[in-house]
Amino acid sequence: MRVLLHGAYRGFAGGARDVTLDAATLREALAELVREHPSLAERMRDEHGRLRAHLSLFVNQEDSRFLGGEDAALSDGDIVHVIPALSGG
Amino acid sequence: MAKQVVLLVGTKKGLYTVRSDADRKKWTQDGPYSAPAPIHHATYDPRDGSMYAAINSTWGGSRIDYSRDMGKTWEKSKNPAFPEGSDRTFFQTWHIEPGHVKTPNVVWAGTEPAALWKSEDRGQTWQLNKALDDQPSRAKWVPGFGGMGLHSIAIDADDPKKMQVGISVGGVYTSTDTGASWVQDNAQTGGKEDRPDVFYCIHKLLAHPKTSGVRFMRVHVDVFWREPGETAWRNRTEGLPSTFGFAAAMHPRERSVAYVIPLDDTKRTASPPGIGVYSTNDRGATWTRNDKGLPPGAALESVREGMDTDLLDPLGVYFGTANGDVWASRDEGKSWEAAARYLPYVTSVHAATIEG
Repeated sequence: MRVLLHGAYRGFAGGARDVTLDAATLREALAELVREHPSLAERMRDEHGRLRAHLSLFVNQEDSRFLGGEDAALSDGDIVHVIPALSGG
Repeated sequence: MAKQVVLLVGTKKGLYTVRSDADRKKWTQDGPYSAPAPIHHATYDPRDGSMYAAINSTWGGSRIDYSRDMGKTWEKSKNPAFPEGSDRTFFQTWHIEPGHVKTPNVVWAGTEPAALWKSEDRGQTWQLNKALDDQPSRAKWVPGFGGMGLHSIAIDADDPKKMQVGISVGGVYTSTDTGASWVQDNAQTGGKEDRPDVFYCIHKLLAHPKTSGVRFMRVHVDVFWREPGETAWRNRTEGLPSTFGFAAAMHPRERSVAYVIPLDDTKRTASPPGIGVYSTNDRGATWTRNDKGLPPGAALESVREGMDTDLLDPLGVYFGTANGDVWASRDEGKSWEAAARYLPYVTSVHAATIEG
């Protein structure tokens, strides 16, 4: 499966855009992503491990919040999108 | 080697640098760095030439960045982190203060939620000051209009063990052991109102960089001076056009000279009588309005980190405004010229005096 980094998250990962990794759930995918790009750790989660506000995670075309959040199951060929959420009016 | 002045200008959309030679007549600007993130504060550390910036980003969370090459490149520090089990989460940084020259690797930071952080590795990692965090009186801290932050870190000129912090809204705490213990330090004397302590909404607390024990403090209501050995804040508001304001600065050499920009008590801008910098040469006993060159009657405002001085002689004084201008004086605050125009809302101005 692939993780695509969008917007500011590319910069946080040193310019990386497209990361290929193995993971059965979204939580595993994020952990694997941080292992490859440690600089993303504090940019994705606060000090208590909570995902930051203004961070949207999509699996293919679906918002992960409607797929079980970090428990969302992943399959070969899935694409996880890490997106800085648009907000602020 | 010739000196130059570099203004680190934090705005609501990124960090700008505004530079001039020692004449301070022509200014050039670079930036923004890290736009559109708001920059609450940025500072220069004269001990080693580092720069620090409080990047309070919506995306990816706030962070503190540091530069070792005069702002050409920046690194991200390890975020301040409240301990496991805390009900608080690091939200943003309000102020970064280089440590005393006797503690060369120490840098301090104040954050929202209000807390004091110490770095012992030149800003790469941050440790919570637990003694302040454990103060029982912390339960009484409340947010001001802009949030609840620790924004003032005043380190004594001679003794780095002696320091004070200012919290909005939490008052002043003093330590004589480098932050191992703290006592509340809010007693006041003088002034029109018969109250025993200062209003706890501290807006800016400064330690004189050369004279041990001298402090100047801008509070939500009133301004205060403290001399060496004194244990109360002496009310020095008389002579100012209002009791309210944010921006404050001390002369880096003259121990009796300070500057403030009063704002209207209710409108929260400088009208009436319009933007002006008020200076004192006698520890706040009297104040002089300085507005030559400033737009007459303009309802501008300058916020908490909005004013600073360089180290040149005659002194340069600088302040930024909410409408995106930076004003410079090269005659100790008497007259003013624009150093930068049409930036985003200016949240902080720090003047670095450097060689070359």
